[in-house]
Amino acid sequence: MAIIVSFVLLGIGILALVLRRDLVIKLLALGLVNASSILFLVSIGNRPGGRAPIQSPGEIAILVDPLPQALVLSAIVVNFAILALALVFVMILVERYHTTDAQRIEHEMSQETDEEETPCL
Amino acid sequence: MSARVRCIVCSVGIVAVFVVLLSFTYMMSMPNFTDSERYLSIPIEASGASNRVAGIYLNTRLFDTLIEILVFSVAVLGVRYYLRHSPKVTLPRLSESAVVRTAAGILGPLALLLSAYFAVLGHLSPGGGFAAGVIAASAVLYVAIAQGMAATEARFSPQRIAAAEKGILLLLFVWVLLPLAFGEAPLSELLPPGTPGRLLSAGSILPYNLLISVKVFFGAWLIIAAFAQHRGDL
Repeated sequence: MAIIVSFVLLGIGILALVLRRDLVIKLLALGLVNASSILFLVSIGNRPGGRAPIQSPGEIAILVDPLPQALVLSAIVVNFAILALALVFVMILVERYHTTDAQRIEHEMSQETDEEETPCL
Repeated sequence: MSARVRCIVCSVGIVAVFVVLLSFTYMMSMPNFTDSERYLSIPIEASGASNRVAGIYLNTRLFDTLIEILVFSVAVLGVRYYLRHSPKVTLPRLSESAVVRTAAGILGPLALLLSAYFAVLGHLSPGGGFAAGVIAASAVLYVAIAQGMAATEARFSPQRIAAAEKGILLLLFVWVLLPLAFGEAPLSELLPPGTPGRLLSAGSILPYNLLISVKVFFGAWLIIAAFAQHRGDL
């Protein structure tokens, strides 16, 4: 069930990332994609009746796979770092173009480039 | 993007998600989707850590963790650099209610205590350096909400913390290269694993957890402080 939810979240995240023009919404969608991958990794490591992978010496118990949980740790930290950096870039763009609309920013940037390329007669 | 292209992308996306979903649902019906025995078959006496996740990311896959810390440090550098070189904005301070400020003042020290617990016992119980660092940064954010950014920055100066953060990164890399001085391969374990379940066990995992917690705390606080300085206050 968790895997199905993770794929639904992935789909929503990717669609929002592609279709929404607001840069802040795109960042939120990126966070949603990351959350879906975390949910997926945790759920594939699950074992029926398994418990958290914390073991005493000599103890025999069904434990869930610890490797995906170790990978999730990396995913969380890297996602935090990427989101913080991406938010700074969005802030710089908003301060310069006074909009969060990706299409308008692209349009204004292309106009700026055209003006720079126009030969001075 | 035109409405037609948007419709096509939307349809293809939905179909692709369902195809992948169905294939993975089929794969999940297989008994062993991941090879959990690969790591669970290693006795805990090998790393000395009762927490098998800590035993993986601070022992077996230590190299990955180091690169991850490097990625985090680069992100902190990037955030501070770009925010310092972009024009400052002065936004009105968000006035918190007395209830929030009082609650934040009480929760701050408690969160710091919880962070220390997670860092020290990360090899025995759920927790570890990364979680502890983020909790500590949240604790300082609580303090900033309760006492104001200026008072908190005077106590946790971003300039000094930035220097300390780089120092800890250097210390981590020196620690993993230290085995070279003893004729061992880099990333080798120098400290004995000890008895699993004891506080002083798991070799270098305890020092790694402590260093990583301080590193992540400083990095996350630097990011928060950079954003707060850019807009004038919290």
